[in-house]
Amino acid sequence: MRELCAAAVDAATGAGAEYVDARVVLKRDQLVATKNGHVERVSDSESEGIGVRVLLGGAWGFACDRRLSLDAARDAALRACAFAGAAPGRHTRRLASVEPRTATYRTPIERDPFEVPLADKIQLCLRADEAMAGEDVLVRQAMVRAQREHKFLLTSEGTEVEQELFESGGGINCSAARDGVFQTRSYPSAHVGSSCQAGWEYADGLDLVGEAPRIAEQAAALVRADECPNAITTVVLDGDQVALQVHESVGHPTELDRVYGTEASYAGTSFVKPQDLGSLRYGSELMNVTADPTTRGGLGSFAFDDEGVPAASVPVVEAGVLTGFLTSRETAARIGAGNGGSMRADGWNRMPLVRMTNLHLEPGEGDLDDLIGDVDDGIYMETNRSWSIDDKRLNFQFGTQLAWEIKRGRLGRLLRDATYTGITPEFWGRLDAVAGADSWRLYGLTNCGKGQPGQSAHVSHGASPARFKDVQVGVRR
Amino acid sequence: VRARDLAGVALEVADGEAEAVVQVESSGLARFAGSEVHQPTLIENAVVTLRVVRDGRTGTASTNKVDADGLAALARRATEAAESAPPDEAFPGLAGPAEPAAADAYDEETARLGADEQARLAASAIEAAGDFPVYGFFTSGLSDLAIASSTGLALDQQMTDATALVVAADEKGSGYAERTAWRVTEIDPSAVTREAVEKAERTSDARETESGVYRAVLEPYALAELLQYFSYDTLGALGLLEERSYFSGKLGEKLFDEKISIADDAFDPRGFPKAFDFEGTPKQRVQLVEGGVAHGVVWDRATAVQAGNGAQSTGHAPPLESRDWGPLPYALSVAPGEAPSVNDLAQLVGDGLYITRLHYLGVVHPREGVVTGMTRDGTFRIRGGEIAEPLVNLRFTVAVPEFLREVYALTREPALVNAQSFYGERYPYGALVPAIASAHFVVTGLGSRPGI
Repeated sequence: MRELCAAAVDAATGAGAEYVDARVVLKRDQLVATKNGHVERVSDSESEGIGVRVLLGGAWGFACDRRLSLDAARDAALRACAFAGAAPGRHTRRLASVEPRTATYRTPIERDPFEVPLADKIQLCLRADEAMAGEDVLVRQAMVRAQREHKFLLTSEGTEVEQELFESGGGINCSAARDGVFQTRSYPSAHVGSSCQAGWEYADGLDLVGEAPRIAEQAAALVRADECPNAITTVVLDGDQVALQVHESVGHPTELDRVYGTEASYAGTSFVKPQDLGSLRYGSELMNVTADPTTRGGLGSFAFDDEGVPAASVPVVEAGVLTGFLTSRETAARIGAGNGGSMRADGWNRMPLVRMTNLHLEPGEGDLDDLIGDVDDGIYMETNRSWSIDDKRLNFQFGTQLAWEIKRGRLGRLLRDATYTGITPEFWGRLDAVAGADSWRLYGLTNCGKGQPGQSAHVSHGASPARFKDVQVGVRR
Repeated sequence: VRARDLAGVALEVADGEAEAVVQVESSGLARFAGSEVHQPTLIENAVVTLRVVRDGRTGTASTNKVDADGLAALARRATEAAESAPPDEAFPGLAGPAEPAAADAYDEETARLGADEQARLAASAIEAAGDFPVYGFFTSGLSDLAIASSTGLALDQQMTDATALVVAADEKGSGYAERTAWRVTEIDPSAVTREAVEKAERTSDARETESGVYRAVLEPYALAELLQYFSYDTLGALGLLEERSYFSGKLGEKLFDEKISIADDAFDPRGFPKAFDFEGTPKQRVQLVEGGVAHGVVWDRATAVQAGNGAQSTGHAPPLESRDWGPLPYALSVAPGEAPSVNDLAQLVGDGLYITRLHYLGVVHPREGVVTGMTRDGTFRIRGGEIAEPLVNLRFTVAVPEFLREVYALTREPALVNAQSFYGERYPYGALVPAIASAHFVVTGLGSRPGI
């Protein structure tokens, strides 16, 4: 891998590039999915190649090649230089300095997920699938997944980093229908379950089979439940929905490339401005958000990002005030703070972008019962179902799979089709309780989209249940 | 490397009952922001997906290592996957030989565009804006798709595509435009920019408006995206079978305004023509809605077997990684109407909203076809039949069936709206839709002002 990267870096510097990074990436993914007692999918995918990014005359160029040969590496480097050389526009780019490092890193795992026989994974899914059978249940789904990404980064500044990252995960979905009402329940999260950077011990620990009957019962109960009312009320969110809330309304708006507008043509920009650093009131004093790529198990964990910047924990919001951004070397230099550390690429054939790593809402005190116990009249919502937020990350509307009314400190009726809406800083300003460390969990998402061409990032969020006052729920069409 | 050659070699290596799907991509995308290229990406890739069948058991593996060793390893992994699975009675079997109708979507000039030309076309988009900052991209690519099976199937199609997309945005406002086609000569990046800038210049000093039900004109960009999200649950057979489709139990009923007719038409040369799907089934034109009546949905081989009622695949199997959704309409086509222009639609609306495009849609209630999202880059009030003052971005929560139930008119000329986001392997597709004027568009909140 090093030889290939070196050939690319030498070719690009020989062609006049002032900076080059070359990444060789070998990725393998395994997915097993069952549905209604049938095996839907047993797939084992691998992809490999080299991606070369150059800075030439102040302009970026990127090219890649699936062939892992010296000729292909050099060819990709020269094509990247040609593309940079042809790029229109004004080019003035500076990169924050990073001390060149040589290092290796491997996800700590107890059991290699690729050593687990496929037959065992299939049986696990089929058992969980079967355990969801019940009245009104129409669709039962179970899945497990594993990923290994082995990558080598070499930069023209002398950084050499080899990393091997493992992921494991799984989840179940159960859909029920009755009298024209269709409802879905998922565990541990919607959107292809949940994953961690870990060995198969994580998937085993999910206990998909044990949780299956509860999920099926809830799906069947939901099709008989009342609709979430339209009201302005106190809302308690479970950790899964808090994770989604953090992702959409804190993570994306604090990506500094979005703040500078470079994502404007697709995912959008941000209501946050560079000059807001250190002064923007993002939320209440209970709001503390940290970006931490060193979190054990986080899908955004690494020793070095895809620019070779060492992993470091960065406070983003402290006591409700914006104190940090997610940055690249380029955006860090532009704002004059830090040196990057959030650049990640989706495989060998995409340029690194500023991405979330692991973005956590720091825990507060007490537990879910305490949060609910203090509410006279409100709604508790659990597990994300739908999500939408505007291009500046201000106006959002999220839905959850299920909800309960809260009356005099206790859970009451089960409610379906729960939604809530708000404006980001106003909503976070109404945060009045965050459950403590005992309730804090890591939620792993594998579908965070950004960039053109599109890239999917895998990110984690640590969160515990949280409570918000005066929230609009039950949005009507 | 040609996809059909790789598919043939992969089948030989599989040595038994198997299907090989090969996607070869050669593309360039020059993305710009603030009138400067910042994410230029050149991609060369070839992905072979092998589905192996052993005694009714199926397993799949994919690779982009397409030398002899790589394909041998691929066959081993696919076989291991198949042998690990129990027999599946619902497996429809591999498709046999097929002779799909011709669907030309290959243009030599587009296929030959190199990095220099792609950068030049991005430059023409940027330069046309003058001092107005623009954000967007120019991309073109060649996608080569082949499917072959041990049951005698051997199909391949080369497709080209090109897209110019521009968001013109400064601190006061923003506008949007795009053009997409399989022939690059149909794309004029500078014209795209001029449309976006003209729109942006009309969006400064955007005002707020009340939540509530409005009459509205949606440009093709907005209608295409709304229908795309509606289609995921409602217009495919899996949604119908799993009862999350709005059409569940309603096929044959008049659900929409009689002006609404929607088809999936992969043969329309104004779209991105396709000859066959990812199972190798020849494409069929499928009438989804006819004169407001729910007419049908699209099918693949798996859902046809699952239905057990004699249903046949219509040639709408998606790539394997998207098959959780079931068959999807990749060539949505809305029948145009009689209105000469969007200004005529505004006249019919009288008092309402004018919406250029939508942003970040989410399905709220699949069975009821309720979708939420934001308007973006060109939202205006319509007053006295004229497009009037600009508005801030609006949150909407719309039941698509209600939106389509009372339609004043559609424009005469449909536009092809790009639908691929360039994730994973390149596969050009889009929706061919006119602009529409509807009586029912529900605003449920206010968002940010247009602009950067």
